Amino acid sequence: MRLGVFVSDLRGNEKMLDRLKAEKLGVFLVENGIYHAVIKEDGMISPLLQKEGADYYVLTEDLQTRGFTSSEVDSKVSVVTYLDVVDLMMNDYEKLVWL
Amino acid sequence: MGKEILFVVSRPPYKSENPKLAITHAMACYVADIHIDEEVEPIMAFVADGVLNCIKNQRSEAFYGIISTEQHIKNQLASDMKMFVCKEDLQRLEIKEERLIDGKDMGAEVDLEMVGFEEILKEMERCDQVMFF
Repeated sequence: MRLGVFVSDLRGNEKMLDRLKAEKLGVFLVENGIYHAVIKEDGMISPLLQKEGADYYVLTEDLQTRGFTSSEVDSKVSVVTYLDVVDLMMNDYEKLVWL
Repeated sequence: MGKEILFVVSRPPYKSENPKLAITHAMACYVADIHIDEEVEPIMAFVADGVLNCIKNQRSEAFYGIISTEQHIKNQLASDMKMFVCKEDLQRLEIKEERLIDGKDMGAEVDLEMVGFEEILKEMERCDQVMFF
């Protein structure tokens, strides 16, 4: 399965994401999920970014709304626009879930 | 000195209404005293993930079509409202002082005050009422 997972909160999603398995896994960081891409906590990157083999995307509109720029985004994460997200949803993933 | 109310914000901005409700309720205190015949002094404290409300250059007008939390905070600072930000939480999330909203942009004479959580606990004890958002 090619699975796209939307994360829109800063807390409480790590365990569920850890349990999900897919041949291709994409994690879309949107709304308050964007903090996973830009904030380190006690010097550590978000545990959410440590899923092996996953592709990470962060929505630039939600990033900028919260006062961040793409230069602050972790190197594991691709910065995408709404239009990119739609393309990814239509072309790259069969199933989409919202954590 | 009238009644002092401490509004504590512990959630990040935009996803839920809570942080903005706290800020607008605090602002409303300045007009509420006309109706209840008692002076009300609001104070705000940002703790835990709530400190993320205090990051500058928010662009919600451009992307969500709504006034930013930053603008609301600047308005409160311009009204001389005392606003605290928890130092330990800023350190934990590695947010440096220069990333914080600057009240002087709006001509405010007061700025966000970085204080330890102990200080915020003391404010909770000192104020007449505490509202947690």
